[in-house]
Amino acid sequence: MILEANNLTKSFGLRKAVNNLSLQIPDGSVYGFLGPNGSGKSTTIRMMTALISPDIGDVFINGNSIQKMGNKALSDVGALIERADFHKHLSAKTNLEILARMDGTEISSIQKVLDRTGLGDRGNDKVKTYSQGMKQRLGIAQALMGNPKLLILDEPTNGLDPEGMKEIRDLVGELSSEGITIFISSHLLDEVQKISSHIAMISLGELITAGKIEDLLRESDMLMTEVHVDQTDKSVKLLSKYEWIHRCDVEEGILRVSISANKTSELVQILVQNDILVSAVIPKTSLEDLYLSKVGIKGKI
Amino acid sequence: MLSLIYNELLVITGRWRSYIGFIGISILMPLILWGFMYGSESLQNDYARGLEGSFMIVGSIINAFLATYIIMNALWIHIPFLITLAAGDAVAADGSNGIFRLTLIRPVSRLKILLSKLLASYIYSAGLVIFCAFWSLGIGSLILGTGDLIVIDNGILILNESQAWIRMLLSFSLAIVVMCMVSTLCFMFSSMVNNGIGPIIGAMFLIIVGYIIIAIPLDFFTKIEPYVFVSYFNVWLDAFKDPIPWSLIGKKLSVLITYSLIFFGISAFVFLNKDIKS
Repeated sequence: MILEANNLTKSFGLRKAVNNLSLQIPDGSVYGFLGPNGSGKSTTIRMMTALISPDIGDVFINGNSIQKMGNKALSDVGALIERADFHKHLSAKTNLEILARMDGTEISSIQKVLDRTGLGDRGNDKVKTYSQGMKQRLGIAQALMGNPKLLILDEPTNGLDPEGMKEIRDLVGELSSEGITIFISSHLLDEVQKISSHIAMISLGELITAGKIEDLLRESDMLMTEVHVDQTDKSVKLLSKYEWIHRCDVEEGILRVSISANKTSELVQILVQNDILVSAVIPKTSLEDLYLSKVGIKGKI
Repeated sequence: MLSLIYNELLVITGRWRSYIGFIGISILMPLILWGFMYGSESLQNDYARGLEGSFMIVGSIINAFLATYIIMNALWIHIPFLITLAAGDAVAADGSNGIFRLTLIRPVSRLKILLSKLLASYIYSAGLVIFCAFWSLGIGSLILGTGDLIVIDNGILILNESQAWIRMLLSFSLAIVVMCMVSTLCFMFSSMVNNGIGPIIGAMFLIIVGYIIIAIPLDFFTKIEPYVFVSYFNVWLDAFKDPIPWSLIGKKLSVLITYSLIFFGISAFVFLNKDIKS
């Protein structure tokens, strides 16, 4: 494991932001970290990067304790925590030079990370002239300096347009293929599903579930099933009566039903017995369904 | 450590607020020197009256040394404000701008980062005092010329030109220590909050309270005066006493340095235990 968080607990006043949270991040994984706003994601990430000290627990990076070693345990870590903020009155290059001198990174590597994040020709411009998307890319550039083995990205696509989001997604894919472990928090489930190999879900400061995405989806007792029928309205009215059907709606003419895996045949039977023609039944569990079944909040998290 | 200090200097020199002091001095000093050049008759007469009966004055007693001495007397209350403009931002600005989310995740200890910020503030403070000296002594000596320095303070002290240069050098060096102490005070407040204005107000408030305590001759104030750091700010004036009171200077400096260490100790305690939430 490149990072292990053990029993992390942090309170702010009377409010417990994170409660007894443990995580193991395997080497080479892309680890998605999901949870609704205020669930404790950022606090957890700040404890992982020595910005906040936990009340209880510890974080080990490559076996080095942050509690014992402080920032020195972060020598293999690059991170972008929330918004990318820089000295606005200085150029992007000068900002990165400042950080490079702290890391002991060669100044010559700055142009490489700027090129990699698409800012190669804007390095001499002052950061105050940058758009939010460019700042975010510069944030990723600073995280890449010093060739980190673990990259921690907290909401890296915030403020980016769809094209920018895709660029970041592609970059994460590239970095992952180079063997860099990536821990990424995002409120976009679809985004996380596209790039992650593992996920952890957190709610109210507590870990809900964690593991490989495919294992979690397979183990999920809640299946989102697409059912192709000839009478969608009648089907919705009919199925709404059954308590074991957790969700039933129509999207683009297709009936989407959330049920336990062992209820599929019963579902079809009900529809057929009520003279509804069923042409196809496609089980389609997504990360969103898994999230909804575990955390229970619809839509963006 | 040197590279960290260099980083901090880059940040300080990149902020427009850091130049307010230099701009202010660049406007004020030529004005004062011009005043000495064309409107110093009454000052010359006041000095002459103080010296008549004991000395015969040949030529003008107004020169760069006397001008500098008078300027320092007038400005030593105000320069601290200019110093706090940079020191107030030293830690607080990084907090409010979110820069700590980039710098405190680097494998460098927080103590080193804090110390580099303090030392950069000291360099800035020293730079401002030296800039003052450049104007009053450097440009002043070109405009007003040099000569003997006459100091009237519990008696009359006449220093020849070479002695005057040495005393001025000593005086400015002592002023730098005072300003570094002011810088540390402001720095302490800066490490406690997330905006640059609060530390300036906090530091100036304490300094003004100190000035009030040493200015009002009440018994209670006289009793607490030895514990008020502001009462040691006039250490630079000791450079113009004869003989130079080295033990008094040493005592005043050790008090100022002790206060600086206490203020930095508090900053370090706060900063090392600070949760970066913004």
